[in-house]
Amino acid sequence: MTVSDSSVAAVMAGRAGHRGWRARLTAWRVPLSVLILCLLPWVLPSQALAVNVLIYGLVAVGYNLLFGYTGLLSFGHAAFFGAGAYVTGIAIGKFGLPWYAAVALGVVAGSALAFVIGLLSIRTRGIYFSMVTLALSQLVYYVALQASSLTGGENGLRGFTVARIDLFGWTVDFLDPLKKYYVLMVFAAAALWLVSRILNSPFGAVIEAIRENETRARACGYDVERSKLIAFTLSGLICALAGTLSALHLAIVPLDILHYQTSGMIVMMTLLGGAGSFFGPFVGALAFLLMEDVVSLWTSHWQIVVGSVFILFVLFLPKGIWGSALAWRASR
Amino acid sequence: MSVPLLAVENIGRRFGGFVALEGVTASFEPNKVTAIIGPNGAGKSTFFNVLSGVLAPSSGSIRFKGSDITGTPQHRFAHLGIARSYQITNIFPELSVHENVRVAAQALRSRYDIWRNRAAMTELDDKADAALAAVGLTSRRGTTAKFLAHGQQRALEIAIALVADPELLLLDEPTAGMGPEETKDMVALLERLAAGRTILLVEHKMKMILGLSDRILVLHHGRLIADGSPQHIQTDPEVRRVYLGQNHGYA
Amino acid sequence: MDAELIAMQLFSGVALGAILIMVALGLSIIFGMLGVVNFAHGALFMIGAYAGLWVASLTGSFWWGLLIAPIAIGAFGMLIERFLIRPLYKRSIDDPLLLTFGLGYVLVEAVRIVFGSDGIPFQTPPELAGVADLGIGFFPIYRLFVVAVVAVILVLLWLGLEKTKFGLIVRAGAKDPQIMRVLGVDIAKVWLLVFGLGIGLTALGGVLAAPMRNVNPEMGSLVLAEAFVVTVIGGMGSLVGAVVAGLLVGVAISMTALFAPEMATIVMFALMALVLLVRPHGLFGKPVRG
Repeated sequence: MTVSDSSVAAVMAGRAGHRGWRARLTAWRVPLSVLILCLLPWVLPSQALAVNVLIYGLVAVGYNLLFGYTGLLSFGHAAFFGAGAYVTGIAIGKFGLPWYAAVALGVVAGSALAFVIGLLSIRTRGIYFSMVTLALSQLVYYVALQASSLTGGENGLRGFTVARIDLFGWTVDFLDPLKKYYVLMVFAAAALWLVSRILNSPFGAVIEAIRENETRARACGYDVERSKLIAFTLSGLICALAGTLSALHLAIVPLDILHYQTSGMIVMMTLLGGAGSFFGPFVGALAFLLMEDVVSLWTSHWQIVVGSVFILFVLFLPKGIWGSALAWRASR
Repeated sequence: MSVPLLAVENIGRRFGGFVALEGVTASFEPNKVTAIIGPNGAGKSTFFNVLSGVLAPSSGSIRFKGSDITGTPQHRFAHLGIARSYQITNIFPELSVHENVRVAAQALRSRYDIWRNRAAMTELDDKADAALAAVGLTSRRGTTAKFLAHGQQRALEIAIALVADPELLLLDEPTAGMGPEETKDMVALLERLAAGRTILLVEHKMKMILGLSDRILVLHHGRLIADGSPQHIQTDPEVRRVYLGQNHGYA
Repeated sequence: MDAELIAMQLFSGVALGAILIMVALGLSIIFGMLGVVNFAHGALFMIGAYAGLWVASLTGSFWWGLLIAPIAIGAFGMLIERFLIRPLYKRSIDDPLLLTFGLGYVLVEAVRIVFGSDGIPFQTPPELAGVADLGIGFFPIYRLFVVAVVAVILVLLWLGLEKTKFGLIVRAGAKDPQIMRVLGVDIAKVWLLVFGLGIGLTALGGVLAAPMRNVNPEMGSLVLAEAFVVTVIGGMGSLVGAVVAGLLVGVAISMTALFAPEMATIVMFALMALVLLVRPHGLFGKPVRG
């Protein structure tokens, strides 16, 4: 069978890498995202909103690695977000550690917890995964509730305000909201860069293959269970980092951060923005938090509005805002 | 006599009380095409699943190139040199044709690297393109897999298995759902692939099998009832009895 | 620690377990037949309690609440299946789950709007108040009643599944919906009824639980987690497992409350983690991948 000219041309075109807006967007996704994050405090109605979009957007990015890219619907990611927050707060408040050590510990603790919960939940059949992750993270909630001498129990963790950030000889006044935002943003940017690297790596292809067809991936030679566990742990790592940022930002850690309602909120944000897209989670976090802010102006029952919008999205716009926008642009 | 590529001894497989396979013993020499046939429910799928590691046998053993691989986890089979395709198309629907094959090629080289940029691994592109060329899908390289026509998806099925450079290729009803024209194309492809490879295939289309295979195994109610050349099988009284009344286009 | 106290606590656990069984069974039936993990299950438990309370206050009788609420909420469940979940079957298996989660979210807030966020106490109906002397101790009559009701429902369910045509379809359909279609069974109607049944069961659990707990919008949130724990321990998709595990968890919580009250809730999660470690498919579930 000879290879015809048109197929040679097809190969060459394909090899040259698909030119076009999609490829360019992907190649520049980290700088573009960071740029938008830089502009957020100036563009949004309040700086408080901007910080929240930053932090929750980051949690959603971490979650999206598992849900959007690997295809695993976990309902327990609040555990890693909360663990990062609590460990950071406890490290600073109870052990007097410097902030950067506290952040490192928070990330390590959250990742370790993700590894353990992942280990227990991945052994179950796929559909039960959501149930198991919810239940295991609720265990963490109840443990935190009980261990009140360490965690503050129902009242949450307090008393660990970070006033100054000292880094490489620089001192930043952390109490200034704008400066605080940009310090936190540096971490978020680093996390985004890490996620982008993971997605571009061979492992990134593995998790997408698992999402698309787990059986086939196994037949091709991938250890699906081990790969899922790695993805789960990496996802937990990013969420834990977001948790540490949350602790630094609020100087308190509310117990509810560990409740599955928080997990559910993360899921909603990710879906609203667009699971499986790089920037979608930030869009989703923004949409969710904006809705909360705006609706709260006339009623305290903003949840019913957000919940209903979420239901509508599941029914009619499952790709989310950003995901649908990308798909629409691609089909033109 | 050299060590057979694959040797199964007394393979049995039960599901609860149901015996799907019993006492199947056979060995397979390299570079031959062997077909596995049998009426519905004969145990062909189960046998295939045992050979590809999807199921562990309840009893008996499998040896590949002399080593015992019984009970090896499925994901190691591709690394051993055994690849399979599926009867019901089992591809990665949202990935492009090229990516489908590329990720299969990647499995043998890098599975846990989270750092390197995989686009730089051009050897994977080469292998993927070679496999696509072998099955005639080069012109559909960039198409999203779910948009392919059925026959093309079956070809992609095979390309995914092929790109692993397997010594043993297990093909489960490669012509499933295909009309006569597409079947002819597939047979031509299989004949090309047979050069230098060992192929085991499950099929229903007798005419195709008789032309293509060097050897035929017949399963019935989980047991091997005949094993030999196409001529031998056609004249085997047991086989005729089993197939009598079944409209498989036997003539 | 005297025997009477232990016996009473044990019995208390059985009563708690009975409620859990209602909820877990509902979840398992829906899951086993439709493949949908109903994340609104806790919210519907809560709504069952409110419905029971509302009917009881309208009619002046707990009995009407007990009868009408599960049926009404079960019917509501059928509407949910028909209009919200059915469109999602052909999509990914996660979509119905996500929808039920959103629904639960909305339902809880809706109840807050209508009934307020504070709890409403639900008086034990006078006919069932008080204690009965059963020789080994004095047992609350209401809890005896709950156990009795659940036992009756279990028998009815068992009879229904084993002896009726519908039950046969439910048991078979769970294995192979294709066959059901081929046999001409209206699978859509079966799914509708099964979903309604599952919701009815959890709503019944809610009504029964109402006099035992404070009726408030949050009461379903722990129940959802409890139902998941019971399902994991009992074994995915196993109805027998739901019953056994429900009892086990109820008793474990109750007995732990006796010695270390603060650990009571944690114990059930710890049990679940143990099961996941040692026997991931649960006590009565089918092993993962042959």
